[in-house]
Amino acid sequence: MPVDHRRLCGPEESHAPALWAAEEGGDESPRDPWALRPLFARAAVLSQADGSAYVELSGGTKVLCAAWGPREAPEPPTAAAAAAALRMGRLQCDFRRAPFASRGARRRPGSTAERDAERDLAAALRTALEPTLQLERYPRTRLLVSVLLLQDEGSVLAAAISAGALALADSGVQMYDLAVGCALCRGPDPSAAWVLQPGEAEERRAAVRLTVALLPALNQVSAVQGAGSGGTPEDWAEALCFGLDACYRLYPVLRQSLLQATCRRRRAM
Amino acid sequence: MSERRATLRRLSCSNGASHCSRLLEGTAASRERRKRKGLSAVRREEAGSMAAVVLSEPEKLYIVHGVQEDLRVDGRGCEDYRCAEVETDVVSNTSGSARVKLGNTDILVGVKAEMGTPKIEKPDEGYLEFCVDCSANATPEFEGRGGEELGTEITSTFYTVFSSENSVDLKSLCINPREHCWVLYVDVLLLVCGGNLFDAISIAVKAALFNTRIPKVRVLEDEEGSKEIELSDDPYDCIRLNVENVPLIVTLSKIGYRHVVDATLEEEACSLASLLVSVTSKGALTSIKKVGRGSLDPESIFEMMETGKKVGKALHVALQKILDEEESLGTSRQKVGFLG
Repeated sequence: MPVDHRRLCGPEESHAPALWAAEEGGDESPRDPWALRPLFARAAVLSQADGSAYVELSGGTKVLCAAWGPREAPEPPTAAAAAAALRMGRLQCDFRRAPFASRGARRRPGSTAERDAERDLAAALRTALEPTLQLERYPRTRLLVSVLLLQDEGSVLAAAISAGALALADSGVQMYDLAVGCALCRGPDPSAAWVLQPGEAEERRAAVRLTVALLPALNQVSAVQGAGSGGTPEDWAEALCFGLDACYRLYPVLRQSLLQATCRRRRAM
Repeated sequence: MSERRATLRRLSCSNGASHCSRLLEGTAASRERRKRKGLSAVRREEAGSMAAVVLSEPEKLYIVHGVQEDLRVDGRGCEDYRCAEVETDVVSNTSGSARVKLGNTDILVGVKAEMGTPKIEKPDEGYLEFCVDCSANATPEFEGRGGEELGTEITSTFYTVFSSENSVDLKSLCINPREHCWVLYVDVLLLVCGGNLFDAISIAVKAALFNTRIPKVRVLEDEEGSKEIELSDDPYDCIRLNVENVPLIVTLSKIGYRHVVDATLEEEACSLASLLVSVTSKGALTSIKKVGRGSLDPESIFEMMETGKKVGKALHVALQKILDEEESLGTSRQKVGFLG
């Protein structure tokens, strides 16, 4: 059989080796289900945006968020949309992942899969943040929230919700409350317990994932998004309670960061 | 008369209207405050991505009051579906198709099986691709790029619902690990939007998957190791999908203090937030998602999940009965098509 010796004959297509790599750290010591990963939040980090926030989970998830206060909205396309715009403002959410955000191969920023994933996250962010805003105070305008994910180590949507709410509050628009996001998941093992703020590996292995967002002062749930192998309503209710409780515990951290941002601003004045 | 007005006021606030108490479903103080705002307080409309209807304040009140009394505008109770018409095998160029009419909502789903390569992470499984087309036939708002947002929302919801491992047996779609598998393209057409799109689409998708027939193929390998795929000569020699575990979506819309299933467009305009739950025939909830502009009380989410389970199970039984009946008629069935 004639063989071309002049060049290296590799296979026609190649794949990243990470796919076949052995699962590392499969047997981690079980986490305390009540334990929350330390969360760092800081408001007013960007000078150009009306409001901004940075949220980091100790596992490594880093989210940067900017919010722009009421600005003129473009002409609505239809009569119904125009009537709605007259009554209340619009929240527009934009979600971007840095090309180097996740492990493994670099994702191409413009690719369809990437764009779809970003659009889904933006839509989820919008449903979570809209209930916090008093949009009827801003008719004919739009509010813009733009989230940039710098590093993805799990619980991304939850971190983005918290950051978005902080940035909106920091921009000074009128709100009902902050939204606090929290993710949780449960392993495939039937006896596995729910774990709060899972890391990227835990999330990948999980059989059921859930993200909740809470407006703590009003005790209202602004986002619930969960999927996985089936459970009874009681199972989901239990998980929901667990997640909401975690949101209550995270709330003081966000409030504190807002307070600090205000103090910093006053000192600078 | 005065008593009647009192009820009017009480119910009007439940629709959630005054600025700061909209989100609350509780405290006596806020209820007092809302009471004082009275009738003029209802000034909201869900005009999100769905086709919007414009309702006047009294019309909305009428709907909300009705829901409160468990009697809806069309005479249904809060947990009743509208009459649904299901017909499978309506488009001959597909592997499987179904058309569902739920009240005014009219959905056509076609499934086409094509050969493709398995995904690299799952070399021994086929996969499903969803595509939702919001054409301007359904509502003029979908013209141009208008329907895109709704289209992606529906598509991503269905990917999530079908991401659960055992919804469809994907292993049965594999022809030749790493090389060939069946890809099921599920195309959803919205013909008329009359409220409750998600439920209607999920019924249509399940019916279409039930109806799907994938030709049987065999892989022949000669001595040099090259593989050949051979299609069976008999056109009736095909595999069917097991749709027993395919979930149905139940949308529960919060109206006032209660929630309803299968909301019409008008009822959707009165609802600020709804919960989508996907329920399997055994009554397990495989996914939940809140949609809409408002927020929900944790207690009401628990209640909605219970209702979703109950209603979803009944819906599965009813759908399976219809599908089996239609199946038993075989070729003798008179097709209704689009003029029925």
